Amino acid sequence: MIDIDRPDDPQALADLYEANGWGDGLPVIAPTVDRVDAMLAGLTGEVDPDHLVATLPPRSGQATLRVIAINAVLAGCEPRQFPVLVAAVQALNDPDLNLRGVNATTHPVAPLLIVHGEAALRGGFNSGLGAFGPGSRANATTGRAVRLMLNHVAGATPGPGDASTQGGPAKYSYCVAENLEESPWGSLATDAGVTAPSAVTVHCGEAPHNVHDMESADPAAILDKVASTMVSFGANNAPISQGEFFVALCPEHAAACADDGWNRRHVASYLFNRARINVGEMRNAFALRAWAPWMQRLSDSDDMPMTEHPDNIKVFVVGGAGKHSSVIPSWGMTRAVTVPVHSGAPGTPDSEEGKES
Amino acid sequence: MQIYSPLGEVGPPMAAMAPSLDVLTGVRIGVLDNTKPNAGLLLGRIAERLAERVGAVVAHTETKNAALAAPDRVMGRLTEEEVHVVLTGTAD
Repeated sequence: MIDIDRPDDPQALADLYEANGWGDGLPVIAPTVDRVDAMLAGLTGEVDPDHLVATLPPRSGQATLRVIAINAVLAGCEPRQFPVLVAAVQALNDPDLNLRGVNATTHPVAPLLIVHGEAALRGGFNSGLGAFGPGSRANATTGRAVRLMLNHVAGATPGPGDASTQGGPAKYSYCVAENLEESPWGSLATDAGVTAPSAVTVHCGEAPHNVHDMESADPAAILDKVASTMVSFGANNAPISQGEFFVALCPEHAAACADDGWNRRHVASYLFNRARINVGEMRNAFALRAWAPWMQRLSDSDDMPMTEHPDNIKVFVVGGAGKHSSVIPSWGMTRAVTVPVHSGAPGTPDSEEGKES
Repeated sequence: MQIYSPLGEVGPPMAAMAPSLDVLTGVRIGVLDNTKPNAGLLLGRIAERLAERVGAVVAHTETKNAALAAPDRVMGRLTEEEVHVVLTGTAD
């Protein structure tokens, strides 16, 4: 515990955090005992605040429910968003996500949270107009709480724990909800094997790369522009064949595809075939290549896909009116993780199958 | 008034450094090239120089991806080659 004379004086709290090298540079809300208890009450049933949810590298920080709640209060979360944050921390703990590498790299990677299903509605997350941008308290504070967990608990502070050369705006907060109402293909979480009513996907990637197509009704024409955005020598995924691409289609682009009979698999397969680059140029650009064995056998005159399998291309719907989609390449050596969001605390009966929020 | 610290406790380290050897003379040196630019060249030359200086042997070189822990098969081959010390770890 920390003694502070005026915990609700924003300037005093900002000074305390700056002096200790804590926080993200923005004002925080004082994590008083009452506020943290109220945040923990965002989970139903019996809650053990000392329950260990994850151990986060490189600091080996112990992410107990109380510590997660403290950082949620600091970020400005409401208790109704807390179950999503707890699930996101569980996802960060999955070895496939490779959080140690994500935190340590010089790349500007940040964990993107995609909230699926009922928890998105209950938590007030924005899946529509401007979802990646400011204005939604749930999106802004839940994404920020993940960053504060990484800074404080994982030890991913710029310099000793985060070597990112330039950093990036996505490192402040990076959270959207999937626009299920306007998704013609159901939830991406279901495709990832999570059938619970609520889920969250954590994808460690770059900031969104915009795809603009105001004029095409033909899915192929729209997706050719998506493919051209995927094809970049500058993306970390370029020389790494296992890299994932999250393709965030706006509702109008998704509808154009679905109206022509394309399902999610068709879209991913088309992008796999169209997002290609000349092998010789790739070899000239990168001495260091992490390619699947079959890619290493390609000749210089061949074209190669930007990733080794269509399954590495994840298509979901987000946004409102307009014709802007985006591509979110991964850092490369990481896999997205989707987990159910439970209404109850981990390790309690309320967190078991069938009682997801 | 009191407020919570945001840091939480630190758990046991996920991995520990092996203790340094007191004497390097006669040891078998392994090189674990993490494939960062010039890592193999730099580590290989350091291993050669070290071997010359202390009377050791450069026994084996393996490669691994810089972003991931060395897989078991790589560690297994270093073990099979009976190396006593491994040189690794360069960044961009």
